[in-house]
Amino acid sequence: MAETVTVPPTERTRKAPSRQMIVTALPSVVLVALVLAVSVQQPSFLGPLSLRTLAESAAPIALIAIGVMFVILTGGIDLSVAVLTSLGTVLLALWMPSLGLLGVLLMIMAITAAGLLNGFVTAFAQVPSFVVTLGAMGLWSGVALGLSGASTISIGANHSLIGWLTGFRVGGVAISVYLTLGLGILVALGVRFLARGKSLHAIGLAENAALMSGVRTRRVRILAFGASGFFAALAATVLASSQYSGSPTLADALLLPAIAAVIVGGTAITGGVGGPLRTIIGTLVIGVLRVGMNALGVDPAYEQIVYGSVIIAAVALTLDRSRIGIVK
Amino acid sequence: MSQVQEGARPAAPANPDASSTRPAPRVAWSRRLLTAGPPIALIALIVIFGAANSRFLSGSNARGIADQTAILLVLAIGMTFVILLGGIDLSVEGVMATSSLVVALLAANDRNSNDYGMLAVLAGVAAGALFGLVSGLLHTRLKIPSFMATLGMGAVGIGIATVLFAGRSPRVLDEGVRSWGLDKWWGFSPLTYVAVAVLIIGWLIQRFTRVGRYGYVIGGAEGIARLSGIPIMRYKTLAFIISGSTAGLAGAMAASRLGVGDVLIGGGQMFATITAVVVGGTLLQGGRGGVHKTAIGALIIAVLANGLILVGVEPYVQRSVQGVVIVIAVAATGWSLRTRTRTIK
Amino acid sequence: MNGPVVEFRGVSKRFPGVLALDNVDVEIRPHEVVGLIGENGAGKSTLLKILSGVYQPDSGDLIVRGESRHLATPRHAAAAGIGMVHQEQSLIGTVSVAENILLGAEGSSVRGGVYNWKDLNQRAQRMLSKIDSQIRPTDRTEDLVLAQRQMVELAKALAVEERGDHEPVIVLDEPTSVLDGDDLETLFAEIERLRDIASVVFVSHRLDEVLRVSDRVYVMKDGRVVAERDPKAVDIAELYRLMVGRETAGEFYREDEQLEVDGAPDVIKVEGLGRKGAFKDVDLRVRAGEVVGLAGVEGSGREALSRALFGAEPFDVGQVLLDGARLKLGSPSDAVEAGIGYVPAERRVEGVAMGLSVEDNIVLADPGTISRRGIVIPSRRRQVVAEWIDRLRIKTVSTQTDVANLSGGNQQKVTLAKWLSSPRLRVLILDHPTRGLDVGAKEDVYTFIRKACAQGLAIILIADTIDETIALSHNVVVFRDGEITARFSAAPGRKPTQVQLVEAMV
Repeated sequence: MAETVTVPPTERTRKAPSRQMIVTALPSVVLVALVLAVSVQQPSFLGPLSLRTLAESAAPIALIAIGVMFVILTGGIDLSVAVLTSLGTVLLALWMPSLGLLGVLLMIMAITAAGLLNGFVTAFAQVPSFVVTLGAMGLWSGVALGLSGASTISIGANHSLIGWLTGFRVGGVAISVYLTLGLGILVALGVRFLARGKSLHAIGLAENAALMSGVRTRRVRILAFGASGFFAALAATVLASSQYSGSPTLADALLLPAIAAVIVGGTAITGGVGGPLRTIIGTLVIGVLRVGMNALGVDPAYEQIVYGSVIIAAVALTLDRSRIGIVK
Repeated sequence: MSQVQEGARPAAPANPDASSTRPAPRVAWSRRLLTAGPPIALIALIVIFGAANSRFLSGSNARGIADQTAILLVLAIGMTFVILLGGIDLSVEGVMATSSLVVALLAANDRNSNDYGMLAVLAGVAAGALFGLVSGLLHTRLKIPSFMATLGMGAVGIGIATVLFAGRSPRVLDEGVRSWGLDKWWGFSPLTYVAVAVLIIGWLIQRFTRVGRYGYVIGGAEGIARLSGIPIMRYKTLAFIISGSTAGLAGAMAASRLGVGDVLIGGGQMFATITAVVVGGTLLQGGRGGVHKTAIGALIIAVLANGLILVGVEPYVQRSVQGVVIVIAVAATGWSLRTRTRTIK
Repeated sequence: MNGPVVEFRGVSKRFPGVLALDNVDVEIRPHEVVGLIGENGAGKSTLLKILSGVYQPDSGDLIVRGESRHLATPRHAAAAGIGMVHQEQSLIGTVSVAENILLGAEGSSVRGGVYNWKDLNQRAQRMLSKIDSQIRPTDRTEDLVLAQRQMVELAKALAVEERGDHEPVIVLDEPTSVLDGDDLETLFAEIERLRDIASVVFVSHRLDEVLRVSDRVYVMKDGRVVAERDPKAVDIAELYRLMVGRETAGEFYREDEQLEVDGAPDVIKVEGLGRKGAFKDVDLRVRAGEVVGLAGVEGSGREALSRALFGAEPFDVGQVLLDGARLKLGSPSDAVEAGIGYVPAERRVEGVAMGLSVEDNIVLADPGTISRRGIVIPSRRRQVVAEWIDRLRIKTVSTQTDVANLSGGNQQKVTLAKWLSSPRLRVLILDHPTRGLDVGAKEDVYTFIRKACAQGLAIILIADTIDETIALSHNVVVFRDGEITARFSAAPGRKPTQVQLVEAMV
């Protein structure tokens, strides 16, 4: 936490291209390898029902992951995404029955605003993002518990407004999957073709240079956190749709898998490299890992151990050591 | 995990603790606030809650607060060492979970025939120390930011606890172990005395050993520490081992009080611990504070919790308040360091 | 002890692009104060860093008390009896004075990790007594005022004495830059006292101070020792000449390309600008096609001023006008949007974005040039990037190459391309633009500066050397200790001399 002094690399030789290529290609390779390994063990894995379950359960995680990816790209972290998602489901359960579509929109705005608040405090008070989002995690968790009376709330009416996300299937797969893929592609295109599309990466790689080139780093940072909130809200919609209810702790356990997905997908915790499509692949890797553990008969109790270890290993591997001077 | 780029030529010396002018009035102000603020806040809270509900000031309630603070204090003392260095330990809940199960399964219990008595408690502490060692090594050798390393290790801790849990909480049957949690020595739980003992030990470490003194040096200005040839990695790792050990002890204490080992035994402790340390006056950025300040901070948290419940406020408000307090504390103490070109991640 | 305490014999040190020390011979004898003078970049700081173990020489010998030594780290230097008082404070505020004095060298005062405070305090007290200080070893360091902290730094440097059995060498690097008045006198008195118990090396940009305390002075220039003089018998003018005298080849700086600007309109005007502790009462104006050079030693305020003009640092009073309109300079993005560009001294951290490609770097400041309504037009981007790579002769394998893989000179060109490619650029601030560049790259930069002037840009220049400043500028403004002390017109053929500038600088 606190201060990590980033120094520019002293001597960067031609090692850069091959390392970059490995970091980009490895997740896909790992995914393919895992899929093969699992399907050898459990041939039914490749069946349509199993693949559908995989994709549909991965969708909300992927959405959260893409959201937190925006922040990680700038070199920060958002520990509050999962709690914001949970809060989102609670708000939906409370507002949608009476306010209908307006309720959905209000929830999305509220959660996005919470994200923007994170960004605002980080940028203006110059407080490390992990502290701000740690605090936010506490704050919104309490709010979620309070609003819901610490219990699950069934969605009494108007569920059909969002039910189609997970209930309606095209080509055997729910709309939520297409939504996730579509957004991923949209974001990837945005990064490539928007005039300021590379701002996130620039801030992650060389924030001082970006700042001294006129990039509005504060604004970009705030927007990154806002995007994180926005995607958390979307994930909340998908979850509420499939669960027919909202709960204050529904998504809390998804924080670690989401961060793992981002890092495994090839976005370094130091920022500057990565993208939404890679994050989706990372999510699939995590998902297949989980299915694989089941298939191998591994006790689900071991899941947490695996997530924790995978995150640590992935961070250690993708960390850009040449840019870390003093780590705290 | 914030990253400050030291690219620009500093107009003033880079080390804020050695300001290049006489201690300017506003620097002295914020320092005075840090020192005097917490005790004043504590007294203010006691007065306010005492006025709101007379039961608050009763002897039995005071003893209750002390007993409630015990586990939190033990955790916070260990956490202080890590935070002083500028790091953080997010794994305490996971370590407590594993430790409580280790204790519950090694002392006489209703699941197996082990009967190691108080050695089980030691095993719990040792388990915590082991977690701390791993976290420390991940941080110092692999350069993983401490929040990330401990977040991961916390998950591993919950995971190991879940595996040991195997579907049902093992109940502690050992009289000796349970007596630590259930007895009363002169009105207070033995755990309270344990906490005070840990506080004293922590203070001795802070005042008289390298781990303690170098914590201030490394946390205050790591660059200077490095130039002086101090083996930074060693002391950082030691700090994590201390934090892990206290978390292990806290897990053992909780197991003896509740009589079970449980995965969720540490629920809510992470926020409470960090808030206690920060509210007491130890800077999250490191370099300033100490266990004596943390003791006040822990009391503040406990008084706040107790008082709010007596007044009728829902418990989960605690968590929200703690979250906000952490952010405000860091923002306020770092306010004077803000500049236009500072890059905080 | 007969011979010198420390001897540099033929010591050289090279950094990428610059020869910092070139075959240097320096002697430090027992019980004397040796002064080092020279311009920025003359090599003084490198010499001190080698002496204190921060750098190691590439060639030559460092001989300490008759033995050739390799001081691999500051600890080794301390073990060899060399103590350095740094320019920046190196004390930890939250621990005691004794802990600071003996930091990392607690030795037998700490057994098995446990502190013997009585012992530690006693040892620290010995050091404090040596410099006759009233400070107590148990005092909390941050409670001391600045002058007292300087004393603690001195005591800390003296503590190296304990590591061996010999008198220490105390190195003082710009110890006076943060002191004034009485504190200054106290320090000079200390240095007198030190002479009895140690050897002292004293570096300061304030010539009068060095001459006052030293027994001998070495003059350094361009990494070489050019003279050794007795301060009592030296002529100041001669010293200036030795410090900065250089063959200035006008063609090298393309002086013939310097254009007339007398009738041109003001582009940027600075009125009464001030910032507490950095600079004050700054009035400047730069016309279209004009180069205004800011001269002064490090810390004289010109760097702070240029950063303030770019919005990277705040100012307290005054205003900045662009084309007559008052500018809001709350951040660098404000400045960039107004048309101000900045080529920073810290090229690798603030100039180019390491990790991004050459292409991404060039379009970083003004993506508007390659996009329409917020969407990038790939063909336009390719075209603009190719054009500027060609115009500035940037040598790179491809536009996608990571800019970190380019040479220093080419990186600097990328930074220039970033600003020059934006049509809205009106003012360009150059902070040490040729630092660390080889001769060819320097010439290129000079050419581009002339061309930029021809296009009507206003240029504010902080150059590496005095002759660069004189040769490239239309007008030179000299800073000292935050204020403007002199202004010189520098039209071709009527340039001021180096000595004139140095006089106003020191």
